[in-house]
Amino acid sequence: MGRKTIKVDYLARVEGEGALNVTIRDGQVSKAELRIFEPPRFFEAFLRGRDYAEAPDVTARICGICPVAYQMSAVHAMENALGIEVEGQLRALRRLLYCGEWIESHALHIYMLHAPDFLGYAGAVDMARDYPDIVKRGLSLKKAGNAIMALLGGREIHPINVRVGGFYRTPTRKELEPLAETLKQARENALATVRWTAGLEMPEAERDYHLVALHHPGEYAMNVGRIVSNRGLDIAVADYNRHFVESHVQRSTALHSHLREHDCYLVGPLARYSLNHGQLSSLARETAKEAGLGVTCTNPFQSIVVRSVEVVYACDEALRIIDEYREPERPFELAEPKASEGFGCTEAPRGLLFHRYRLDASGGILEAQIVPPTAQNQPSIEADLKDLVGGWLDLPADTLRERCEQTIRNYDPCISCATHFLKLDVRHE
Amino acid sequence: MHETALVKNLIHRVETLCADENAERVVEVAVWLGALCHMSPEHFTDHFRQEAAGTCAEQAQLRIETSDDINHPQAQDVLLQSLELETEDEAGP
Repeated sequence: MGRKTIKVDYLARVEGEGALNVTIRDGQVSKAELRIFEPPRFFEAFLRGRDYAEAPDVTARICGICPVAYQMSAVHAMENALGIEVEGQLRALRRLLYCGEWIESHALHIYMLHAPDFLGYAGAVDMARDYPDIVKRGLSLKKAGNAIMALLGGREIHPINVRVGGFYRTPTRKELEPLAETLKQARENALATVRWTAGLEMPEAERDYHLVALHHPGEYAMNVGRIVSNRGLDIAVADYNRHFVESHVQRSTALHSHLREHDCYLVGPLARYSLNHGQLSSLARETAKEAGLGVTCTNPFQSIVVRSVEVVYACDEALRIIDEYREPERPFELAEPKASEGFGCTEAPRGLLFHRYRLDASGGILEAQIVPPTAQNQPSIEADLKDLVGGWLDLPADTLRERCEQTIRNYDPCISCATHFLKLDVRHE
Repeated sequence: MHETALVKNLIHRVETLCADENAERVVEVAVWLGALCHMSPEHFTDHFRQEAAGTCAEQAQLRIETSDDINHPQAQDVLLQSLELETEDEAGP
């Protein structure tokens, strides 16, 4: 027996597994089933028994890419339960924090995950060899989003400065000033991003979606609003469970969401853009028009352009908030625990994110419900694939798999298999 | 977050390397925990023991180095640094 030591330096990664099973009958796609296997996370159960004040920090750990979304939906649900209204500059600062998340998350998706698909690269590292300046622009944009997260959230990832009623600490005007300079440069990069993504070759793929997003009469909805759709849905967040239902399907550990009356629906940038186009900043609207987008967009491949437009908007909106910022008198409103139920819904970069909590009289969490955008979009991803794969069946196997991966990445699914992952099985019956 | 999937991935890599080297078992696993990786040495050890059960790394000693540099480019990551393997032959270090 001998011993040997080998040097490895291997980066351990979070692994999810994705597989797509396509069934062909009489030359037509009869079934497209996306299977997602992720280890159970147990966050809803983990929250039970904890104090209401812990929810923002615990839920921020659900996702490393969109922690603010989880934190915001949780904190809004708690404030709804306890009857607190967060207004004025505290409300504006939360919107600024959300702008930071949209910028960093969208930049990551556009440049690192999705653009390589359009240009024929396996990933961003390969793409960077031929497009170093483009990738650097993406990283610079992401850095600008992270700068907002670091300043308002206390750190870039899994922010810790948000609390029920407001923030633990609010920034001074002087602290925000350097951020404005960073964001002006980021806005230029965002404009260049729209022009660049608009020039990518887009497959023709108009889809007849039921689009669902938050809508607020006074602003492009991020943190608050009513849940609306292009087919007449218009409900308060508290009524979410009366209209939407989650179900378990055997093939996937991710739940599927449906509208009780209309089956599958789409949340995310296409829905937000199409339902709230008029509330984008004038610069974002003009840029969208120059990029060839109409007031609605239902080509899922163009989601990369729509995300880029939203980055322009987020930079614009962040600059507006910083410009109008006046230091608030106190960083938070005090909350009094009581037996109650609260609902929160915000627009994560990937789409609608719903939280519901039931509290006991001392503020202990009795029940937690979290419905992420990926669960809501999964039936829609399958519908896209079923609709589109039929036209691609003559493609070589590798090209077909890449096209299917690209279709799934249109959604920026919040799963580790958002990177290149797919096991494709095409079965002829 | 994601600890189970992350440690499973690491164990999978250890098993592959062990097989590539025709090793009998893993004697020691050296890992580096970034300052923002959200795993303490104790937490990592618990997950490692659970996932390593029944694999070539079941009896492996763990050598864990922790970083407190939050600005390190891999501050969020877990790195598998090296493996000490028991082999059938008299291979040197």
